[in-house]
Amino acid sequence: MAIARAPHAAGEAPRDAAPAAGLNSVHLTLEALEKRYGNLPPSVSALSLQLRQGELLGLLGPSGCGKTTTLRMISGLVPVTAGRILVAGRDVTALPPYRRDMGVVFQAYALFPHMTVAENVAFGLEMRKVSRTEAKERVMRALGMVRLEALADRKPRELSGGQQQRVALARALVIEPSILLLDEPLSNLDAKLRDEMRNEIRDIQQRLGITAVFVTHDQVEAMAICDRIGVMRAGRLEQIATPLEMYERPTTPFVADFVGRMNHLRGTRLEGGGVRVGEAVLATAGTSPAGEALLLMVRPHRIQMTPAATAQPEAAGRNVQPGTVRRVTFVGDALHYEVAMGAETMLVESSTVSGPQSFAVGDAVFLAWSPDDTLTFPAGTEA
Amino acid sequence: MNTLSLPRIAYGVLVALLLVFLLAPVLLVFPISFSADNFIAWPPSGWSPRWYVALARESELLLAFRNSVVLGLVVTVLSLAIALPAAVMLVRKEFPGRDILFSVFTAPLLLPSIVLGLAILIVFVGRGLVGSWFGMVLAHLTLTLPYALRVLATGLKTLPPAVEDAAGTLGARPFTVFRRVTLPLMAPALIAAGALSFLVSFDEVVISLFIVGPQLKVLPVSLYHYVESRTDPLVASASAVLILVTLLLVIVVERAVGLRKAVGGGG
Repeated sequence: MAIARAPHAAGEAPRDAAPAAGLNSVHLTLEALEKRYGNLPPSVSALSLQLRQGELLGLLGPSGCGKTTTLRMISGLVPVTAGRILVAGRDVTALPPYRRDMGVVFQAYALFPHMTVAENVAFGLEMRKVSRTEAKERVMRALGMVRLEALADRKPRELSGGQQQRVALARALVIEPSILLLDEPLSNLDAKLRDEMRNEIRDIQQRLGITAVFVTHDQVEAMAICDRIGVMRAGRLEQIATPLEMYERPTTPFVADFVGRMNHLRGTRLEGGGVRVGEAVLATAGTSPAGEALLLMVRPHRIQMTPAATAQPEAAGRNVQPGTVRRVTFVGDALHYEVAMGAETMLVESSTVSGPQSFAVGDAVFLAWSPDDTLTFPAGTEA
Repeated sequence: MNTLSLPRIAYGVLVALLLVFLLAPVLLVFPISFSADNFIAWPPSGWSPRWYVALARESELLLAFRNSVVLGLVVTVLSLAIALPAAVMLVRKEFPGRDILFSVFTAPLLLPSIVLGLAILIVFVGRGLVGSWFGMVLAHLTLTLPYALRVLATGLKTLPPAVEDAAGTLGARPFTVFRRVTLPLMAPALIAAGALSFLVSFDEVVISLFIVGPQLKVLPVSLYHYVESRTDPLVASASAVLILVTLLLVIVVERAVGLRKAVGGGG
């Protein structure tokens, strides 16, 4: 897939970055989904996307962006105001939750406190009138998948948070749903357990080849396990792309900031193609009309830092700017430098493992980065 | 245990005094009920179970007792049957005026029962409801429904989050969700609301006083009339029996939910 250039049309519908359909067919389609409550601005609007069979999509965004509402519309717990939801080509928009055949894992687990673990997991099978013997076998298989067979006869309150969430996962999967929906399933767990659980969820999802939507506000979580990520903001899908593309080629400043740290530089496009930022003129990969106000963004780890004493690295078309180290922060596997560059402060990140050398506060340095690593957006699109 | 400071001792004494103040009259009933005297006196000159024997022969009081129990049970069942759907609507559905409606429905809790009783009497008198079972049940419902509604609404609001949604996504239809998930989880609130309704109805004097007739007597009113005309310790033995029955009910509720959780909290 060709790498998309940073677009200038900010209102443009987000492109579907999925590889062209071929190996796997489209399984879940959302068409111009909209949700309104009363006269308030829509909670979700113009949301369209397609998921392939077996794909794990992360819906990522700050709280209140509409990601949970979207999930609840897919599951049928919230009626849509407009738009359509199709599963394997079948329109399910008007179906109630109990006829949608989707497994949902809730943030607060939502286990039935008056039933044992086994009864919780068996509930969906019972609703489907699966015979008692078959149900028993499937329950134990599902509990085996999340390694909880031994706790089948416990009540949920006797379980830890992580165990409860695994029961919830087993309960959602045992019915062999056509789609698995996960609503911030890890946010009630502590950090270590969270990493463990997210990998477990990913393993199971891949093993079963189940199409899944995973709602989270944690970009690291989404990056780690999702095939694609859709970043939402104020009810709209800002961009949908693979984690790598999302990180390297965000299409809006909001996405760029949301999926990792960014340096922000404000400047104006010059006649010759460069961009004036303060005293400096920087090269960028794209072009735009002269005189346009621009926001330039550079990832901290894309900036190379060399001592000013050595020769200036005037390498082929790279942006090279002098600067002074103002602050050094050691964060374990990396060093973060704050470098004064003209009137701007740049954040530079270098790996402590592979970095050639470290710098001290007050050191004069050169910062160098490629025009290809410079994202340009029209000024005013970031707010 | 740390050392007893003066404020701690003072506090302990105050609590003890308050308890004595509250409970002494109630506790006094028990010795007096075993008095051998012909009238209420302290201390009794002798001990005897004779007033319990007399109580068992007092057919009018026994009938009133039976009426009160039947009335209490009918009122309790009706209260739950009416308050449960009402609570579901008031807690679950969003509609304009919902909060006002809830306030109106629970307002009788705040009215002096003499006012309520008089109002009910005025309405009932022209319609032949005074002295009738139907009228009595209606009058008691005005008292018990606010309690039942409040307790059940609190119970619904404190259900664990999303369990009903979860049941729905697992394939349960709304009624199945209610029967298999909502209702079992509401059991403590239902027990509390039921016990409270029964006690409120069983114990009600003022409103019953307006509604009773020669054909329909209830225990609190009959006891009241008994005390007006007689001074023997029979009322003490009746009271002792009532206290024990009430205590039993309270223990049942306490076991099922914890009294404080059932009656108060939320809102």
